[in-house]
Amino acid sequence: MHYPIGLLFDLLASSSALPWNITVHFKSFPEKDLLHCPSKDVIEAHFMSCVKEADALKHKSQVINEMQKKDHKQLWMGLQNDRFDQFWAINRKLMEYPAEENGFRYIPFRIYQTTTERPFIQKLFRPVSTDGQLHTLGDLLKEVCPSAVAPEDGEKKNQVMIHGIEPMLETPLQWLSEHLSYPDNFLHISIIPQPTD
Amino acid sequence: MEENEFFGEKTFQHYCAEFIKHSQKIGDGWEWRASKDCSDGYMCKTHFQVKNGTAVSHQGTSDHVQTFLPVEEALDPPLDDLEVNETTTAAEVIKYEYHVLYSCSYQVPVLYFRASFLDGRPLALKDIWEGVHECYKMRLLQGPWDTITQQEHPILGQPFFVLHPCKTSEFMTPVLKNSQKINRNVNYITSWLSMVGPAVGLNLPLSYATAASQDEGNVDGQDSSIERKSLEEH
Repeated sequence: MHYPIGLLFDLLASSSALPWNITVHFKSFPEKDLLHCPSKDVIEAHFMSCVKEADALKHKSQVINEMQKKDHKQLWMGLQNDRFDQFWAINRKLMEYPAEENGFRYIPFRIYQTTTERPFIQKLFRPVSTDGQLHTLGDLLKEVCPSAVAPEDGEKKNQVMIHGIEPMLETPLQWLSEHLSYPDNFLHISIIPQPTD
Repeated sequence: MEENEFFGEKTFQHYCAEFIKHSQKIGDGWEWRASKDCSDGYMCKTHFQVKNGTAVSHQGTSDHVQTFLPVEEALDPPLDDLEVNETTTAAEVIKYEYHVLYSCSYQVPVLYFRASFLDGRPLALKDIWEGVHECYKMRLLQGPWDTITQQEHPILGQPFFVLHPCKTSEFMTPVLKNSQKINRNVNYITSWLSMVGPAVGLNLPLSYATAASQDEGNVDGQDSSIERKSLEEH
């Protein structure tokens, strides 16, 4: 799919040992079910479209729109060629926010569960409450995906995973967005059943 | 979740409901579909078209440029009422689906669409282009709709083409500002869809526009005057 490979692994195969063995198909592409990426340009367009959407949420698109085309290109090339410094020179601007605020306007996130028909949950969610408190990962889940979080005294049914780790639910969402976002500037969060071993 | 005063999700659903009311009156085929968990939904319409661009047209509907009728509807009335392309075969009929969803990221509506042959084979973007009228092709390439990309439908999860929403707010603002100035009610969805739809083969009959300016202002007025009238009669 067009999802980041790490997300796919967390969502579908997190219990597998690495390296992840996959089967590559060369025929019968399922056009009705999957996005086709016939060229690098299509992947670049998709990536930039995600970055733009993330900035619409974080900064009402102000930061991304102030950048020149060559900055957008540098972002993509840095990712494509695995040149972190090149990538971060531009991306760090997307991670800033005005001094008078405590964070971004809204947090770009998507929550994935294999058990739902909907491909992902994405809603408007502010990183800071009206009284200035930083919202946590737990606050987010309680609000947009309450079934994912176990009741206080209940048994833990699910793992909440980002980049293969389970961050503490007390972690501030603003911090997660600045430090654990994927290159497209989204927090891609997997909810998977707790392994029974 | 906070709603943007400008165009929040509830406002979106309200305008869609009004739009669909009119669609039902004129048999234009739009309907609302709620997501499985019912937390949100979208407006959708399906229509069929003969591939080589010739619309199956119905005499008498002169108020819009091109009419696309469902093929089965077109075949029902007596043949002498219709102009039918005689070389139509099943393989040349294309099914177009249009979905209108709300983007919370951009806080505007977004048009998703896809096309396939009757046997299920999807059309590529370049094939869809061929169905677009020349004048829209030029305009589309220049924006303000920006680009068409393929994305995953946020509720169904399947690939759809999408008219990128990042410029919507930019071209809708003058429309809304102007309607406020001349104190005229406007259905955001009607105005927006009438602008972006034709670029991808979707046309709106003109009656939507007159319905929009009547609905918003007069709904309550009409109800109370009807009430008063029936009281008077008794």
